[in-house]
Amino acid sequence: MESGKIISIFDISIEVVLNDKSIKVGDILVTQDNKYSFEVVEINNVSAKCISLHSTRGLKKGTPVIKISSGVEVEYSDKILGRIFNSYGDVIDKKEFISANKRKTDHPTTTLEELNIESQILWTGIKVIDFFAPLQKGFKMGLLGGAGVGKTVLIKEMIHNIYTSLNSNAVFTGIGERSREGQELYSEMKESNLLDKMSMAYGQMGDNPVSRSKAVYTGLTMAEYLRDEKKQDVLLFIDNIYRFIQAKSEIATELKQILIGNGYPSDMASEISKIEERINSNQNGSITSVQAIYIPADDLTDESVQTIMSYMDGQIVLDRKTAELGIYPAIDVFNSNSKLIDIERIGERHFNLVEQVIKTLNRYQELEEIITVLGIEELSEEDKGIFYRARKLRNYFSQPMFVAEAYTNIPGQFVKIEDVLIDVENILSGKYDDIDESKFLFIGKYHD
Amino acid sequence: MDNIDKTIDNIKNNENVYSTGRVIKVGKYNIEVSGLNDVAFYEAINIGNKASGYVMGIYPNKVIVSLVNIEEEIVPGDIVYSLKKEFKCLFSLDSMGKVIDIFGNDLIAGKKFDKLVEVPIENPPLSIMDRSAVNRELLTGISGIDLMYPIGKGQRQLIIGDKKTGKTQIGLDTIVNQKGKKVICIYVALGKTKKEVKDIYIELTKRGAASYTIIIASFNDELPTRTYLTPYVATSIAESFMMQKYDVLVVFDDLKKHADVYREISLTSNKTPGRDAYPSDIFYTHSRLLEKGAQHINGGSITMLPIVETKSSDITDYISTNIISICDGQLVLSSKNFARGEKPAINYGLSVSRLGGAVQTPDMKKVGTKLRRELLSYLEVREVYELANIDEMSKELQKKMKDGKVILDKLKQYKFNPRTKEEMKADFNFLLEETQENNSSNNTNSNQNDNKENNPSKETTNNQKENNK
Repeated sequence: MESGKIISIFDISIEVVLNDKSIKVGDILVTQDNKYSFEVVEINNVSAKCISLHSTRGLKKGTPVIKISSGVEVEYSDKILGRIFNSYGDVIDKKEFISANKRKTDHPTTTLEELNIESQILWTGIKVIDFFAPLQKGFKMGLLGGAGVGKTVLIKEMIHNIYTSLNSNAVFTGIGERSREGQELYSEMKESNLLDKMSMAYGQMGDNPVSRSKAVYTGLTMAEYLRDEKKQDVLLFIDNIYRFIQAKSEIATELKQILIGNGYPSDMASEISKIEERINSNQNGSITSVQAIYIPADDLTDESVQTIMSYMDGQIVLDRKTAELGIYPAIDVFNSNSKLIDIERIGERHFNLVEQVIKTLNRYQELEEIITVLGIEELSEEDKGIFYRARKLRNYFSQPMFVAEAYTNIPGQFVKIEDVLIDVENILSGKYDDIDESKFLFIGKYHD
Repeated sequence: MDNIDKTIDNIKNNENVYSTGRVIKVGKYNIEVSGLNDVAFYEAINIGNKASGYVMGIYPNKVIVSLVNIEEEIVPGDIVYSLKKEFKCLFSLDSMGKVIDIFGNDLIAGKKFDKLVEVPIENPPLSIMDRSAVNRELLTGISGIDLMYPIGKGQRQLIIGDKKTGKTQIGLDTIVNQKGKKVICIYVALGKTKKEVKDIYIELTKRGAASYTIIIASFNDELPTRTYLTPYVATSIAESFMMQKYDVLVVFDDLKKHADVYREISLTSNKTPGRDAYPSDIFYTHSRLLEKGAQHINGGSITMLPIVETKSSDITDYISTNIISICDGQLVLSSKNFARGEKPAINYGLSVSRLGGAVQTPDMKKVGTKLRRELLSYLEVREVYELANIDEMSKELQKKMKDGKVILDKLKQYKFNPRTKEEMKADFNFLLEETQENNSSNNTNSNQNDNKENNPSKETTNNQKENNK
């Protein structure tokens, strides 16, 4: 049945005169030739304001539209694994797809009743993350500062390790980022045989703002499927969450809504909340997320960045300098942290070791400058000790990765946190002073 | 053809071929029209012989038309015709070596081309599955770029810097270096002066780049809507070459001006301003343009070198960071280096290539990686120790200072003076030879005193070679 006719078109914002009283906000309308589709965002007695999911080029006034569904739907079954979707839940990998079970991507947030915060620590087996910025199931970690410093390798390693240790799958959501990176992740996952362990949803930066704003819901729904139906501890990557707000700003402008400072939509805080509050643990399982955050105009005080950061439980910062030294994963240990670094959560021993290591590495940086000018012989015996131990620590926090075996020819290592603590303790106490620092580079645990 | 037959049929059947309307309000480059009940979004529109444009808004009782060409002044009451087809631009395959606009005009000859084809303003975005990895080199002929911040076919590499730092020159050098390499080059001049464009035309022609280069220009004395559309149309032209498996290089000079033009259009049409008064979709304006730079799965590619002009070396302003976050890397040019005579004035510390060695051949990568590490560590200490007494430094530091000076000297390169890969490798091979000798004693690359002596004789010969150029 015809739901109405288009009466105005202005870029992605269109208006429809309704002759169907049952149309609701969120419904999807299409033209008869299926070429154009729209989502209803506002209704009054006679008309509905809609945003177009695709380009409106060639659309005419007077075109009739029909309702096809009450919202964007995505596959809600095992079939999502190994597949790649667009923002509207359609597969784009050019392979056949027979839908088994679909579900709306709009889903309520986790209630206080369902929410489970008493969950365990999620050990990734990556020494530097487990030691400095450990994850807990259900945690949200910001991923900062990192293009070209091994972000993809780190993400792949986390997917690999969490799959092997917990038998859990992962979801990758690309929002408003480079399509080239989407292509690279897809083919790299394929090469390292990880593709069937994850599903991907993309609304990249060449797509219109509606597509970019919807990708996150598609990704979330798939993650919720893995958590609620398969009872898994799911890993959800979002790259980049800032682009969601950016897309929302563009839509708000097109709809002639009143914006707040810097052009952000006035409902920014609630829109972010509706996403972040869905990424939680419940009695079925957990969703742990790693979210990249873009910082516009290098302005850390940007309102949207601040709003997003308030949901984060910690951050992992990648560092170009460390990458240049050839130490991978190239994590900036001074700026990476997690709420778990707390005596009551990880215990006194781990906590004290973190403090000592940071202190030692900090001193090392100061010493490095002195040495560049004066040479190492000018240092006091105590400083010399610190200097050599710090270099051992720095090397020790590198790690051979499973997903990089092909390039490095070193077999990957999953390192237990107990082993990390023993090794770090031994290095700091001077037990390994006689051992050459190169012995610590790209190893798993050191002690027997 | 179909269209024409249909139109003739329609005329025979006495049907209305064009739908018409009347102008009710005239703005600077937007007009409001009544009537035109059957137009489509983005349909082509003529206002008699006075002006042309396209539909950019349809409302219940009026249509907004954006004008791209005004010949005569429009007054309310003028009759408006809709042309029953999507608004498209024109392009001629005879455009090689010419300066053209997006409507099929040869600007140097001052006339329209004979054989014209229609090009869409924009094609839909290229799907992730239609892309393949960017891993073939596109050589600029500039050592500092090809060795350390290489560009691959399908890469988007931003060139950013202040006025008068040689941004355009890097674009032109790259174009000239494509001679005989089967790459089609498109230079897009946005808001440049006519003098500058003619100069570029003459330079490129003189250096034999005309046979494979098209210059598409739009000037500030034209309608801003034209400047706004020009890079998109240029990209559509590039895409049509890419679909025929050609490698294309597009230089946008420059996108800051494009952003400002789009801001003007948005504010004039009452869009709510955001940061720095740019509209909220300023990111999308550039992201959808630059996302068309890609390595297509069919073998063709579009490499893009957008240029952005900064003020007082500030690359952290809104437009710059936007475009940096879209591109696969940036070459930062510094006015300080330019003044020192370090040309090309690349700021090696701030420049980045996110694809890096992936687009280099192994031999170039080997030299490039080593060169970059040595140079960056030299630049880091240079600022601090430039004035210090060299005899008081550790031997390691002395060597670093000496090597660094040699490297910087060898990186100097005059305009239109491309080097081959062999020349580049030969210039910097001395760095690799040193490491091989050093390998046994020290492989942690710093902090130990037992460093080797320098090789002064070699340095001087290299310097002489440089001076001879």
